[in-house]
Amino acid sequence: MNTLDIFFHVLGTAVVASPVLLLAVMGLTLLFNRPLSETATVRLTQTSVLLSLIPAIAILITMLATGIRNVPIEFGNWVTIPEQAFHFHLKFTFDRLSIPFLMLSCVLCGVVGEFTRRYLHREQGFARFFLFYAIFYCGMVLSSLAGTIETLFVGWEMVGLSSALLIAYFHERENPVRNGQRVWTIYRLSDAALLIAAITMHHMVGEGDFGGLMNSGIWPEGTAAVTSSQALLVGTLLLIGAAGKSALFPFSGWLPRAMEGPTPSSAIFYGALSVHLGAYLLLRLSPLLEASLALQMMVLSLGSISAIGGALMSRVQTDVKTSLAYASLTQVGIIVVEIGLGLRYLALIHIMGHATLRTMQLLRAPTLLRDYNDLENKIGSRLQQQSWSGVGWLPKPIQRWCYRFGFDRGFMDIALDRWIAGQFVGCFLACNRMEERITRFLSREPEPNVDSDESGFDDSTPQDISTAA
Amino acid sequence: MIEGGRRFGCEPYLSEERYHEELLRGRISREDLREVLMADLQDDTDKLVASFGTRYTLRLSMLQTELQPMPESGLSWVLAESELLKRFRDEVPTPYREKTITQTRGWVMRHLESITTDTASSNPASPLPAPLQDRLKAAGESQIHRWSDQQWEAFTLHALWETCQLGVETAEVQPPKAESNDSLHRLMLSELGMDLNTKIDDVLIRFCGCFLDQGFADWTLPERENGFAKAFAGLYLGRWSIRADWMKHVDASLHEVQSSDWDAIQSIEQSLERLGISDNDCESFLSECLLSLRGWAGMIWQMETNSPFLANPIPEGSLNEYLAVRLILLAHAIEHFGKAKFNIGTASAILRLALKSADVRSTPSTRSRTHTIFQLAQLGGWTPEQMLNMSAAQWRCLITEIESFTSLDRRRLLHAAYERHYANQALDAISIHSRRRRELPANSRRRPAYAAIFCIDDREESFRRHLEEVAPDCRTASAAGFFAVAMYYQGADHASFRPLCPAIVKPQHYVREEPLFSSMAAGERRAVRRRRLGWFAHQVHQNSRTLIGGWVTGLFGAIATVPMVARILAPRLTSQIRESMGNLVRPPATELHLERLAEAPGSDAESMGYSLDEMSQIVVRILQDIGMVDAFPPIIVFFGHGSGSLNNPHESAYNCGACSGGRGGPNARAFAVMANDPRVRRRVAEQGIKLPDEVRFVGAYHNTCNDDVDYYDLDLLPRSLRELFRRIESDVIETRARNAHERARRFESAPLDLTPHEALEHVEERAEDLSQARPEYNHATNALVTVGRRDWSRGLFMDRRAFVTEYDPAVDDENGHILTRILQAAIPVCGGISLEYYFSTVDVEGYGCGSKLPHNVASMVGVMTGAASDLRPGLSQQMVEIHEPMRILFVIETTPEMLQRIVSENEGIRRMVEGNWVQLAILDPSTSTVQRYINGHFEPHVVADREIPTVQSSMHWYRGQRDHLGFATVQEPEIKTPVSSSESDANTSEVLV
Repeated sequence: MNTLDIFFHVLGTAVVASPVLLLAVMGLTLLFNRPLSETATVRLTQTSVLLSLIPAIAILITMLATGIRNVPIEFGNWVTIPEQAFHFHLKFTFDRLSIPFLMLSCVLCGVVGEFTRRYLHREQGFARFFLFYAIFYCGMVLSSLAGTIETLFVGWEMVGLSSALLIAYFHERENPVRNGQRVWTIYRLSDAALLIAAITMHHMVGEGDFGGLMNSGIWPEGTAAVTSSQALLVGTLLLIGAAGKSALFPFSGWLPRAMEGPTPSSAIFYGALSVHLGAYLLLRLSPLLEASLALQMMVLSLGSISAIGGALMSRVQTDVKTSLAYASLTQVGIIVVEIGLGLRYLALIHIMGHATLRTMQLLRAPTLLRDYNDLENKIGSRLQQQSWSGVGWLPKPIQRWCYRFGFDRGFMDIALDRWIAGQFVGCFLACNRMEERITRFLSREPEPNVDSDESGFDDSTPQDISTAA
Repeated sequence: MIEGGRRFGCEPYLSEERYHEELLRGRISREDLREVLMADLQDDTDKLVASFGTRYTLRLSMLQTELQPMPESGLSWVLAESELLKRFRDEVPTPYREKTITQTRGWVMRHLESITTDTASSNPASPLPAPLQDRLKAAGESQIHRWSDQQWEAFTLHALWETCQLGVETAEVQPPKAESNDSLHRLMLSELGMDLNTKIDDVLIRFCGCFLDQGFADWTLPERENGFAKAFAGLYLGRWSIRADWMKHVDASLHEVQSSDWDAIQSIEQSLERLGISDNDCESFLSECLLSLRGWAGMIWQMETNSPFLANPIPEGSLNEYLAVRLILLAHAIEHFGKAKFNIGTASAILRLALKSADVRSTPSTRSRTHTIFQLAQLGGWTPEQMLNMSAAQWRCLITEIESFTSLDRRRLLHAAYERHYANQALDAISIHSRRRRELPANSRRRPAYAAIFCIDDREESFRRHLEEVAPDCRTASAAGFFAVAMYYQGADHASFRPLCPAIVKPQHYVREEPLFSSMAAGERRAVRRRRLGWFAHQVHQNSRTLIGGWVTGLFGAIATVPMVARILAPRLTSQIRESMGNLVRPPATELHLERLAEAPGSDAESMGYSLDEMSQIVVRILQDIGMVDAFPPIIVFFGHGSGSLNNPHESAYNCGACSGGRGGPNARAFAVMANDPRVRRRVAEQGIKLPDEVRFVGAYHNTCNDDVDYYDLDLLPRSLRELFRRIESDVIETRARNAHERARRFESAPLDLTPHEALEHVEERAEDLSQARPEYNHATNALVTVGRRDWSRGLFMDRRAFVTEYDPAVDDENGHILTRILQAAIPVCGGISLEYYFSTVDVEGYGCGSKLPHNVASMVGVMTGAASDLRPGLSQQMVEIHEPMRILFVIETTPEMLQRIVSENEGIRRMVEGNWVQLAILDPSTSTVQRYINGHFEPHVVADREIPTVQSSMHWYRGQRDHLGFATVQEPEIKTPVSSSESDANTSEVLV
């Protein structure tokens, strides 16, 4: 190992270690019931963000200076099951994709941390918020630097967990908790897809290293090292994972529901970082997309449906946070299209620009009335509401339908409830009945009045699902 | 209040727990409790209850302790695991504890002795109950002589518990009947196991948002102009859409709605029939339906009846249509979900069945009753022996007595004690302070160096006090902050007119701010610049949410990082930079278009403004109100006030209440212009008030959030007065800093050791901080209004809790004309503010709008909590967190007869006073006696507290404290020599620069 390697290794470790340490401190103090003061919490958070950001910048500068384009930081295998070709390989990669995304995460997390310091001042859940924040931040760093799919999965899960918890931050009210659970459910679905993809990948290439999937390895020039059909299989699974995380069609319904938490968390998670994570995954695996035309088409259509749907929905919504949520979705859809078209740098720039802009807009959202007033004053008249002419050329009934589509948020929630959740519930209910019958048979009890029993059960269980709707 | 609480499902008072905290903190004293209870019980005070003394003593002990109500399930745990049966409660006085233990001990020992020496039959006195004997055995009866104190304590408590339980069982009191008229919502919740309202609300919230939208979404609801119901039907009947299961069969009803002869009221009747609601229940049922989304429903009502200037008005009758649609949905929801349970398809049948199967509510169980009595027994020092001797009738009496004093009653009394405590302090302090003021050498009658007139707002109380401390030779006075100039006002850079006067007044006059005649061209250029900038900003804002526009802005969005990071990390610096940039587009020097040429007032260019006669009336009125009709100082500054802060959907609530949530600067400016006009002065002189030529009026604007002060039209000030004005300016700068300092003690994020100038910077930063949820505390803590001459309240530290209204009885006529005028504004406005804070504090989720943090501006008309909720009324938890909810106390300098007459003659005042929404007291400054107005007559107030502290300055009193502070007299400082004051001015201005 030469000096440069050691230098990279130390800095790289610092980048990863500081959020992990932050999480450990926050978690342990709360676990042992020794909550930190507000000031201490914030200091710690700021230090940690800086300790990630500065080494990352140092690495970037060194990389630019030396012309090295890919710095892997290895932490070896943590679990190995050779006969199943599975190992848990912790590896982080610094390259042209991960460093910008990492820096974006750090800057936005830092800004939002500073914002929250005053925003949540005197709030009961101050420590709780910053604990979730630490989980999220840690997850973001891990997943943006991940060099293997299993590392990515760790970060991915942390982001998902903290998002769901933050949506349910005001846990004394019913709506946040319900919506938090709903988001969590969708995340589970997409996580399952990601997990299957990870295992499939291990089976195909014997390792989860992203580099292994691509021949030459270095982003963005890599080409896939798998056959077209293999790419299609893994790619589809990953696409489902990304769609859940980025609220693409048909999972868009969770995005406005995520606006239940305090404003800064909505801003950073659903306006900025979390929602781009799916796109980031696709970007990371973009060489894979090129290996299969079918996959590319899927990505393109998914992106454009989401973008157009998002645009329609955003125009119809009348509250600022929901409207911004769908506006984000629109842009994420476009980013996915860009990725599908292979415009990787453009997509990266777009992610960064969009994330910062949206964070700013969401943080300003409570000031909306004043902003509008200022605008009116500047223009010198009431803001006249040009009714939108975008769909004016369509026949009336279709216009109507478009409005209805936007109004009901693309019918996605209802459809998911009815055709996906409903099926699951039905299946479980059937199992339950079966089990009861068997127990009864085994214990030789007489057949009770099925009617009353069943209805009693019936109206409690579907309710859980449908109230989640 | 209680009725309101029941109807809205909100709390009428704070929780008992909160009151007990206040009791511990000394905000309520035991003395208060006793007095209040005495007054409440009146003749029943001495009624004996069982064998334990009077109703009074029983209730007093119930008031003083927190009787933790305990559910049955929780009790088992508490009995088994906690120290409930091992140790007496902490607040039980030691003598009682010892007495109970000793007596029990003696009692038990007597028994044991008698058992061992004699046969049981020879002991006709109370035999130990069986459970106690078991307990004795379990505790080690044989070693009873060697029991430690703890063991005895535990045993006594066990004995107490057992006897209480026995007593409760023997009494067999029937629980009070549960209320039968349960709400439909709760019935469905318990019977169907689901909340139908959430389902319906989910649909209606979204729809109401679209229907009421005032220009946020850029795609308006189709058929909006056809009214609520038709638009709804049109939307939901559209083809190719997916509806929630329960709405599947709603088609037929919606088709009916679409037919041309559909009528909302008829439809409501049909729905009622369909649901089988009888005429008797009809009203309560409908109000329940309307109240379940009260924010949106209320907003519909407001918009259809009471809002002339809407961008998108809504047709009349929308509320009826809303209710009709809601009922249709409700019927369908009940049918859909009820079918699964009852196998019947009609709503009315389902409701009947549901009512039938609804089971009886659970009643207070034996054990939780036992628990209550057990706690009381400890506190009252009742021994097990005594209680064992009670007959069943006595027990019944005791239990009914205890249960008749419900938690609501207890809270009512606790609250009364809470208010009493503050009121007594305030009246004592005013009485003592005014006596001290009277005894001062009478030098205060001199002509003051200058005068400063403020709004009566409680936030100006400290500003005035500090100004008086900084410049002892100035005089301050106050009038309602619109200064009698009721107008629609449009600033030079404002888009439209807005009213600047109390909400109850409908202004006739329009006033516009215009660039000076000579700088019209420059003004126009800047207006164009402003318009371009505005257009650009609007485009960015609007299009960043669209497909293509969003793409463009997204690509360049990284540029947004710079200002964003700057704003969040250094809000104050950023705003200063923005400020200096803003000069490019700000209108140049302006003047008010104040003088009207046309006959009648109106909004077009000629009929804008006031005629000279109207102006002179305004000037006379204000000068009389503030009691300043002679001995005018050379400069009189009028301070309007408002508040500017970011991150604040409630911004207008922070502005001047007397300007209906607008900023009062223009009113002060307009008043000064009027009063300076020589023609107006001539007319004023005709009415007996001579304004000498050298007297000038200056308008100013005080921003209560960042404590900034701006002056208007200074160019018009004569050269001879410039020196004096400079002095005023520097006094005000010092005052701003001190005022900011006093305010900062309330902000937990401001360290207590700030200097005044650091404090000023701190509040300036707060105002510009996007992330600041508490830019200022607004009216929080308001509790008092003084109406009278400043003379007797000057120098009294009132902790920013008092509205200080000026009134000089000497200027008034014998009919109390001026006082009536003042009270007509002050009682509704101050009383309204106090009640707004009261309700938002006692139930911040019900009457207030909960935490501000997840708020979400909806449809440009209100805020929702989170992604979707009802529109939230009231004040946020962050605004009221330091408020002490109590009805406001008016202290008025007048005679009982005059006040009686004013109250009886003015409907608005009478309703507030006789409804007991405000408290009244009157003061006679010549004797410093105070009388309180209680239920229609006056009772003298006895000053209990002989002295209040005297301090050198306000800062000496509040320094280092965060909590509410008592009253104090601030010593009148020596009048400074001009030299030293100019020196200190120099210092302050240096620091500020």
